[in-house]
Amino acid sequence: MPNDDILLRIGASLRELFAGVLPGPDAVDVAMYFVALIACVALIFTNAVILILAERKVAGFMQSRLGPHRLGPYGMFQTVADVIKLLTKEDYRPQGVDKWVWAMAPVVLFVPPVMVYAVLPFGKNLVPVDLNIGIFYFVAVSSVATIAFLMAGWGSNNKYSVIGGMRAVAQMVSYEIPLVFSILGVVMLTGSLQTSVIVEKQSGIWFILLQPVAFVIYLIAAAAETNRMPFDLVEGESEIIAGPFTEYSGMRWAMFFLAEYASLFAVSAIASTLFLGGWHGPSFLPGWVWFLGKTYVMIFVFMWVRWTFPRLRVDQLMALCWKYLIPVSLANILITGIGIFAYRAMGG
Amino acid sequence: MYGKGLLTGLGITLREFFRKKATERYPEVRPKLTERFRGGKLALEPEKCIACGLCSLNCPNGSIRLVTVKDEAGKRKLSEYEYDAGACMYCNLCIENCPQKCIRWDKKFDFAGYDRKHLIIDCIAVANAKKAAEREGGAETHE
Repeated sequence: MPNDDILLRIGASLRELFAGVLPGPDAVDVAMYFVALIACVALIFTNAVILILAERKVAGFMQSRLGPHRLGPYGMFQTVADVIKLLTKEDYRPQGVDKWVWAMAPVVLFVPPVMVYAVLPFGKNLVPVDLNIGIFYFVAVSSVATIAFLMAGWGSNNKYSVIGGMRAVAQMVSYEIPLVFSILGVVMLTGSLQTSVIVEKQSGIWFILLQPVAFVIYLIAAAAETNRMPFDLVEGESEIIAGPFTEYSGMRWAMFFLAEYASLFAVSAIASTLFLGGWHGPSFLPGWVWFLGKTYVMIFVFMWVRWTFPRLRVDQLMALCWKYLIPVSLANILITGIGIFAYRAMGG
Repeated sequence: MYGKGLLTGLGITLREFFRKKATERYPEVRPKLTERFRGGKLALEPEKCIACGLCSLNCPNGSIRLVTVKDEAGKRKLSEYEYDAGACMYCNLCIENCPQKCIRWDKKFDFAGYDRKHLIIDCIAVANAKKAAEREGGAETHE
């Protein structure tokens, strides 16, 4: 009963509204894409506010604390207060920075996560842009974030920032490979890169059951891609203060934070798309509720991991990637291939 | 098994996630004080007191000052009883040595003030005020 979905109904009525005002179906399509973009950006901003509070709550709960609890019921307005504080801070630019590169970095970092939201299958017929190379697009776009880290590190004209930026590049480029290889297992099973098709093929069985190894590799590589603990060497405060973020303050610094949570949501959403069956679930709730629920479960897993494990050393990080994750993911691809071949040979 | 330590760690944090938290929301939620907690002001019951002065004599810091008078029958009676919380080190010797068990800690420990004067407490006046409040309101007052 997809037509009962409230979001689809809103979309349809908006389309009718635009069709009445705008000339031609192409203009309506452009307008609808624009609406989707605004919805995605709104989702990112509200989500960041919720996730920052959730992160602090989870951190507190796992350390036998309560987390923020003073401002509003259960500390719900803590992030709002933090945002107001950040917005009213002085926009301070250190003297030695490379003006344009330094100023552009937070914005550039914010772009890839926003672009990734375009292919997230929020529900049946609820994909902002249903590209037939959706997963490939996700991989391609999310790797652009590396440049923003390097820009922030180089532009800051600070030794800690440069070290952090270089670490970001090394880490993100390395972990891109196991990430892609783990996704490849799922792509081999479905024979499609389109996110909606991948979800559709999971109506019977979720791919986490067929590809458990790929799921674990994806989790590890995604945590490294988003520079979250235990892979937050980029901003390892005990070694390099805050890495590329050292010279930023106020809203510019908050942009980095926002981007981190936007990409956290993005990788979690991709995980629920690829492995957890996306919008599939008992039909008493609409599909997008299931999708968001699974995504939040994934986000909780990432937070859980973050507040459990200590940070890796740089050489350990590289060893984990090149010596373990890549061979294991290659073996996974091989076994998946053999499995598919055997399945076909049995006449399945 | 490889990675067993990781799972153990995850298990510990997840268990902690659902456990009762150690944080006390202090001013809103008062801490539960133990029976032997030493703190707050001395609460005196003037009727039970035999004015022996053992509390004052036992006090290492001399933070209890009491004045006794003799009544018509020649019996010693308490006329003033001052406790200086600023000098007190909460050693409990006064309470342990009281033969009548007529002093105890009221355990209301948050009485910081802007002047040292506020730390000197007239225990008889406090006891009388409390009694008067009980007679009037019937209910126990907190101040």
